[in-house]
Amino acid sequence: MKLILTGILAGLLAATAAHADEMAFTSWGGTTQEAQTKSWAAPFEASSGIKVLQDGPTDYGKLKAMVDAKNVTWDVVDVEMDFAIKAAKDGLLEPIDFAVVPKADLDPRFSNDHAVGSFYYSFVLAWNKGSVSGEPASWADMFDTKKFPGKRTFYKWSAPGVIEIALLADGVPADKLYPLDLDRAFKKLDTIKSDIVWWGGGAESQQLIASGEAAFGQLWNGRVFALQQDGTDVGVSWNQNLTAADVLVVPKGAKNKDSAMKFLAAATSPTGQAKFAEASGYAPINTKAKAEMPADVVKGLPDAHVDGQINLDMNYWAEHRDEIATRWYAWQTK
Amino acid sequence: MTAFKRQSFAGLPAGSGGAVPALLLVGLFFIVPVVALLLRSVTDPEPGLQNYAALFGSGTYVRVFLNTFLVAAVVTAVTILVAFPVAWMLAIMPPAIGSIVFGIIILSMWTNLLTRTYAWMVLLQRTGVINRALMGLGIIHEPLPLINNLAGVTIGMVYIMLPFMILPLVGTLRAIDPMTLRAAALCGAGPFQAFRRILLPLSLPGIAAGGLMVFVMSLGYFVTPALLGGTSNMMLAEMIAQTVQSLLNWGLGSAAAFVLLVVTMALYAIQLRLVGAGRPGGGL
Repeated sequence: MKLILTGILAGLLAATAAHADEMAFTSWGGTTQEAQTKSWAAPFEASSGIKVLQDGPTDYGKLKAMVDAKNVTWDVVDVEMDFAIKAAKDGLLEPIDFAVVPKADLDPRFSNDHAVGSFYYSFVLAWNKGSVSGEPASWADMFDTKKFPGKRTFYKWSAPGVIEIALLADGVPADKLYPLDLDRAFKKLDTIKSDIVWWGGGAESQQLIASGEAAFGQLWNGRVFALQQDGTDVGVSWNQNLTAADVLVVPKGAKNKDSAMKFLAAATSPTGQAKFAEASGYAPINTKAKAEMPADVVKGLPDAHVDGQINLDMNYWAEHRDEIATRWYAWQTK
Repeated sequence: MTAFKRQSFAGLPAGSGGAVPALLLVGLFFIVPVVALLLRSVTDPEPGLQNYAALFGSGTYVRVFLNTFLVAAVVTAVTILVAFPVAWMLAIMPPAIGSIVFGIIILSMWTNLLTRTYAWMVLLQRTGVINRALMGLGIIHEPLPLINNLAGVTIGMVYIMLPFMILPLVGTLRAIDPMTLRAAALCGAGPFQAFRRILLPLSLPGIAAGGLMVFVMSLGYFVTPALLGGTSNMMLAEMIAQTVQSLLNWGLGSAAAFVLLVVTMALYAIQLRLVGAGRPGGGL
C-alpha cells in the first residue's frame, strides 16, 4: 500500500515539474493581475514562445513554505517592496540577473539586487464629495474630527503608510519620520480610533468611499483613478502623497529561472511598463516609459505630484517589520 | 434519520472494510498534517516551547483567543434561540410542506459564502438598506452601528450557521412522541411548563449536537468576522493567517492553531461525557 501511494505521489510531482517552455507568474489577482497579464505576459508569450501560467494570490507564507520545502512552483512573484528586502535577507530570493534584465533605465528607488520594480503607487487622501463639506487638504485634517466629522478609512494591515500618516498629522517633519516614533503614532491614532473603518483590500476601499460609508480615506492612487473613471464624485489631495512599490522577485530555487529573468526584462521594459500604467493607473518604474504613454495618463501619475511627495522607507520597514506588526496588532485588537 | 440511531458502533461489525477509504483520507489529509503542525510549533525556528511561551505571553493573542470564544458562544446561543422555533415548526408540519421549507433552508447553503457575506455588508452598513429604511421612516436619526462590531459578526454568522442547528434539532424533535405533550396538558401543565419540563429536556441532545457543531465551526471562522467585524473583534483564524502570511511566523501560527484544536477537542470530550456517546444527538 505504502509503495503504491509513494508511486502515485512521485507521479504527481513529476507531472507538475517544470517544462522548459513554461513558467508561473503570481500576483494579487483582480484588475492588477489582469493588467499584468495583458501588458506583460501576453506579448512576452508571443515573442519568446514561453507560456506564462497565471497563479495567485501572492501569499508570503506560501512562498516561504515553497522555498523551505525546496519545491518552488512560482517563478516570478509580485510582492511588496519591504517584504522583498526582508525576504532577500532571509535567503528566500534569487539574485536578479542584470545581464538579462537591462538596469540602466530602472528607477533606482524601486530596484535592488534581488528585486526589480513592478509598479509604484502613492497613498493619497481621497474623499466622497457628497459626504464632506469643504476640502481636506492634509493628513492632519483626517485627524480633525471637529472640522471633518465622519468615518475615515485606513489600510488594515501592518504596512508602510498609516504610522507615517499619523506622525505627519502630529506635526513630525517629513525628513524626521524615521526612525518611526511608534508611541507617538499610536497615541495620535488613539484620538480617532472609534472613527476608523479599516479596508483590507483595494476593492473594499473603493466601496467604502463610493458609498459614503467612509467620508475620507487613505487610498492607493490607482483605486482613486478608477473611481474617477467610473464617474464617482471623489476628491483627491496629493499633498504629502506617500510612495511605495510592488516589486517582482524570483523565489530561491525557482524551476524556470532563465525564463523568469527574460520575463522580468519584458515586464520592466519601457513598453511593458507604459502599457501596464495605462491599464492600471499605477506608475511605471522604467524612466523611459512615460514617453510611450498618453499625456492624460501621465498627468494622473504620482510622478506629476513630486511636490511634497514622501518616499516611505522600505529599508527601515524591512528591518522593523515584525516589531512594528506586533505593536500594530496589539493596538488594533485592543 | 431516526433509524440511524439504532445502529451500534460498538465494536467493528463485519463488513466494515468499506470504511477504509474514508479512514485513509482522514489519516492522510488530517492526522498527518496535524502531526506536522504540532512538530512545526515546537521546532520552528528552533526546538523548544518558545512559540507557546510567546503565544500565552502576548496580550494580543490571549485577547484574540478570548474574543474568539466570546463570539462563538454568542453566535451559538443566538443560533439556538432562532433555530428552535423553526425546527419545531418543521417537526410538526405536514411532511409535504415541511420538505419544501427544508429545501429552502438547504438551498441557502448552496450560495457562495463570500457572496452572502458581502450581501450582509450592503444591508448592514451605515449607508446600507436597513439604516436608510429606518431613517427614512423616522424611527432613528443616526445610523445604527450594525457592522464592524460584534453585532455585525453575530448577524452574519448566525445566518450562516442556522441550517447546521436546524437539521439536528428537527431530527430530535421529530423523534419526540407527541403524546408526552398531550399527557403534560392533561396533567394541567400550561404551554410554557410543557415546553420547559417536557419538550426542552427531550430536545437537549439535538441542541447539544447542533450547538457543539455551530460552536466549533464558529471558532475557526475567517471570512465573515473579517468582513463584518471590527479589528477589536478579530478572531483567531484571521490572526493566524496574518502571522503566517505576512509575518512568515509558521511556528507561532502552528502553535496557535494547535491550541485551538486541543481546546476544541476538549470541548467535544466534555460534550460526549454530558450527552453520552451512545446518542449522537438523534438524527445526526
